[in-house]
Amino acid sequence: MAGAGHAPAAGPSGAAIYEKSCSECHGKNGEGVRGKYAEILAGNRSLASLTRLISKTMPEGKEGTCVGAEADAVAAYIFDAFYSPAAQARVRPVEESLSRLTAAQYRNSVADLLGRFRPGFDRPLGTEHGLRGAYSGFAIPTPEEEAEAKDTKKKDKKARKQENFTRVDSGLTHVFGTESPNVEKMIPGEFNIRWTGSLYAPDTGLYEFVVTTENGIRLWINDADEPLIDSWVTPGPTVREEKKSVFLLGGKTYRMALAFFKFKDKSASIDVLWKPPHGVLEHIPTELLMPQEIPTNMIVKTGLPADDRSDGYERGTTISKEWDQATTAAALEVVAHVEATLDNLTGSKSASPERVEKLKSFAQRFLEVAYRRPLDEAQKESLVERVFQAAPTPVVAVKRIVLHALKSPRFLYPELARGDEMDDFAVATRLALVLWDSLPDTALAKAAFEKRLHTREQLEKETGRMLLDARTKAKVNGFLQQWLDMERAEHAAKDATLFPEFDEALRADLRASLQLFLDEVVWGEKSDYRQLLQADHLWLNARLGRVYGKPVEGDKFERVVPEAGRRAGVLTHPYVLSALAYNRTTSPIHRGVFLSRSIVGIPLKNPSVAVAFEDAKFDPSLTMREKVSSLTKNASCTGCHGVINPLGFTLENFDAVGRWRVEDNKKPVNAVVDFDAEEGHSLHFTGPVDVANHAVNSASAHEAFVRELFLYAVKQPPAAFGVETLPALKAQFVDDGFHIRKLLGRIALTKAMQGFPEEAPKVAER
Amino acid sequence: MNSLNRRQFLRHFGVSAASLPFLAGLPSLSAAATPQKPKRLVILFSPNGTLPTEFWPEEEGADFQFKSILQPLEPFKSQTLILKGVFNKIKGDGDHHMRGMSCLLTAAQLSPGNIMGGGGAPAGWASGISIDQEIKKALQARAETKTRFGSMEFGVAVPNRADPWTRMSYLGANQPVAPLDDPYQMFAKMYGQVKDKDSLVSILDGVKEDMRRVSQKLSARDKQMLEEHMALVRNMEVELKTPVQTVAHPMPDLDPGIELVNDNTPQMSRMQLNLLVNALVNDMARVATFQFMRSVGQAQMRWLGVQEGHHSLSHDPDDNKESFAKLQKINTWFCGEVAYLAQRLAETPEPSGEGSLLDNTLLLWTNELGKGNSHTLDNIPIVMVGGGAGFKMGRSLKLDNVPHNRLWLTLAHAMGHTELKTFGQSDLCVDGPLSLG
Repeated sequence: MAGAGHAPAAGPSGAAIYEKSCSECHGKNGEGVRGKYAEILAGNRSLASLTRLISKTMPEGKEGTCVGAEADAVAAYIFDAFYSPAAQARVRPVEESLSRLTAAQYRNSVADLLGRFRPGFDRPLGTEHGLRGAYSGFAIPTPEEEAEAKDTKKKDKKARKQENFTRVDSGLTHVFGTESPNVEKMIPGEFNIRWTGSLYAPDTGLYEFVVTTENGIRLWINDADEPLIDSWVTPGPTVREEKKSVFLLGGKTYRMALAFFKFKDKSASIDVLWKPPHGVLEHIPTELLMPQEIPTNMIVKTGLPADDRSDGYERGTTISKEWDQATTAAALEVVAHVEATLDNLTGSKSASPERVEKLKSFAQRFLEVAYRRPLDEAQKESLVERVFQAAPTPVVAVKRIVLHALKSPRFLYPELARGDEMDDFAVATRLALVLWDSLPDTALAKAAFEKRLHTREQLEKETGRMLLDARTKAKVNGFLQQWLDMERAEHAAKDATLFPEFDEALRADLRASLQLFLDEVVWGEKSDYRQLLQADHLWLNARLGRVYGKPVEGDKFERVVPEAGRRAGVLTHPYVLSALAYNRTTSPIHRGVFLSRSIVGIPLKNPSVAVAFEDAKFDPSLTMREKVSSLTKNASCTGCHGVINPLGFTLENFDAVGRWRVEDNKKPVNAVVDFDAEEGHSLHFTGPVDVANHAVNSASAHEAFVRELFLYAVKQPPAAFGVETLPALKAQFVDDGFHIRKLLGRIALTKAMQGFPEEAPKVAER
Repeated sequence: MNSLNRRQFLRHFGVSAASLPFLAGLPSLSAAATPQKPKRLVILFSPNGTLPTEFWPEEEGADFQFKSILQPLEPFKSQTLILKGVFNKIKGDGDHHMRGMSCLLTAAQLSPGNIMGGGGAPAGWASGISIDQEIKKALQARAETKTRFGSMEFGVAVPNRADPWTRMSYLGANQPVAPLDDPYQMFAKMYGQVKDKDSLVSILDGVKEDMRRVSQKLSARDKQMLEEHMALVRNMEVELKTPVQTVAHPMPDLDPGIELVNDNTPQMSRMQLNLLVNALVNDMARVATFQFMRSVGQAQMRWLGVQEGHHSLSHDPDDNKESFAKLQKINTWFCGEVAYLAQRLAETPEPSGEGSLLDNTLLLWTNELGKGNSHTLDNIPIVMVGGGAGFKMGRSLKLDNVPHNRLWLTLAHAMGHTELKTFGQSDLCVDGPLSLG
């Protein structure tokens, strides 16, 4: 066969074989045929891997008839004509799609838009944790004072002496009983306390606050005026529970205050708990409380319809009437908020002589922040001056301008605000969207205004700052939650007789444990992707320690290694493993799909026939591995299950709640597999550690991670920024020591610099 | 408030008179279709007691003379019923102001609590539902008397704090209802949808212009998305310009620039009263409360030439002539507001075409104390104006030490809620409703 490559005519023609044996199901150019094989024939297997797949599984029903030179020829043809990524980019060039703000981006943008007028909302809050408690009451009287107070004859008595003090409390659990907060100095009968500070919300969603007390209290969350809970007047001497929920955006800090008073009640106590999204009722962790007070955030309450997630990430590429109506309602909500807080936002009073000028300048700045760029003279005239002339009062003009700003495509479609030219403001807009899902903050807007977003060096400096902002953290969290399908894990209930300890509280602890691990890795100095896959430790607290086989003392989470050399980062985290399992047994298929798609980077097609796994239909003496092997032994399954099953079997040493085990169904677990890797050679895995070690050295695994992060951050396919985008980012990722934050920074730059004029650096140098 | 303000108002919301009647989603506008005459009840409250000698007529029966404080009601004498001898007999925790206020409409004791007044034991909220909410519940339970809001709670210059001195309306034990004392918020509650639509109309052209401009540079594929968006904007425009339902009684005039401060109380009061008339004529509610300030309120009625706080004045002894004269002015002013409401209702025809709103609306003006400087809960002021309750009006009656529970029971029965057998503290209801027919 030597020289066959130089004389194709001598060997079989790939094109001819494809035409004869494949096109009936896959279409003339791999576009697919409805009713036969509808999906596009494209992927990222290597040529060798594709060849072997064809030899083994094709054509369906006549497997084994296309092997050897024929398989080589047809695989080469398919690979170059339309299968490979390069071919795909040629055949079906990908472009960026016009996108509106997603629901999350809309809410963040509105919050940060109003925040621009309330300095300090995004200031770092320092390292002190807890809330400031201002205690006030009356001093314990001296014997003389007491005598005077009892003297009924004496008039003009001296007022009782105050006793006040301030301290930072780590939490809101206080049992004073019949005593005062300062037994030595303060009388116990009557006193009041006002705790103030702020609260960090790690996730977006509903936060429930539960206050238990027998005294009078008011609780404010993110609002200086309207209390969330107003229970100042007690309905009797018994201890009662008051609860209310409030919707908060993750990655933001909110002002918080609690006023408490005792007046001749028999006793005094207070306890405040919260139930955060995905969490359970618990005391607010001290590290989320800060003693500084900050301005209110504008959180849109209007429900926005869910965004399209059909491609695995939320994106704003479709619109609907529901969306249009929701953005109208939300805009009106903002108008009402602006009107209610106009003095604060504009720094002026209604009677002040400069009021109109202040309102005008507010209106203009509001438009500029919403459109993410300065107004030109014509816009100032038409969007501000003329509205002020036409409106009956300046306040009405402001309301109209705010409504217009938020309904305008310039706000709703961030890419559309610019003119023909790319400029610094467009760069700033993109950076804020990719890293924060929001609009530029004051510093970024200032950099754009001063034309400091031109060179790569300048941009790296700016992204470096932005990467450390809480908004980036919230966004990265969102990515990791999606990557590891934590939504599914949250609802992974287990059989109560087999796993009695696996209750809601344990699941919440597992989530916290995984979150601690992710934070440790991603926000650590090295931010090393390999650690995500290879670390052998878990964060366990006492409750988790009891279940996961390593005793832990106290309430805190500790970094422990429960089974040396057996755990492999997120691959074996019990929260992930328990989600990828049935309620009584493991599910090697779910686990294999996760490892294949998300960790090792082998894309899978959806199954051609849906087969349900019904445990009861199998011989009860079989192991899970035996059951799954038998279920998927059909030739039509092996294309994908040849990948899925072995990967899933490597995790068989971990039961349905992610505990280590050596037996399944009273037989020893067999987690050893021979895995047919996409690079074209067979791999031998003895467990998840081998899978992780393989992945950190695998180009396709790296590419999968880079692609997932890119899609989540940019909400556009990487190929829309050029065929070389993904390979280049992947190569840089490796060069950067697999630094996740640097990767995100590079992704942001890719998007931000798209279409940016080439001569820009020269301008900056001059 | 005069008719000139109407133009001001229309400009304020940027609409022409022709585009006024967009009233989507107001289910109870078709008052004309109501088969029976509606019965309505408005309870008005002013605080800190009255001056009995300038309040209660000397005579009993139909032939009586108004004293100075009630003079503003002269034009409605034949429709007025004055009840002396009604006592708030609710004992228990809390000082007289607290019980006067929070037991006034509930006629039930205060729960034990942590709020300390000027005397007695600390107390909390009332332990039961108030009569306005009780009647509202009964009316809302029946299709023929159900309205959009059921009841509305108006306030004028009520301080922004929740305690037993500021709340008289209760949904139930420990559930006070806050009166809404901001006319602009009240307007938004009543006509918010209309206001929003008006604001949207004003920005449509601008948004369309933006869409046109930004779409010029787009690729065909991206343009398509923006065209879909444009279609939605046009769709909204069409919806905004389609009158959903014609309103028989247009929105009230609302002066746009009144600051909600003490010195503007007279304007705020009239704005709220006008909104109340509008709510009644459009049948948004059949029951309303209207609360001036609060118990122990310290309103400084400079518009009457009174500099001192109302509550401090009310403590002065009867022989302090200056304070007495000021309290007389203050209470006469409150009566004038009641008379203004009666006047507005009398000149507004009933939507069914028969008579005026006042013919089917009973106003009841009361106070938490019988007398300011004695803090008595005996002889609490009760003045009723209007019709529809089946009471024989045009009289001054002197009852004999009647628990106010029985008066509320009487009101409930007059409003058609005859299943109610006792109200509030039940042992005070043993003699049943009063006979006022």
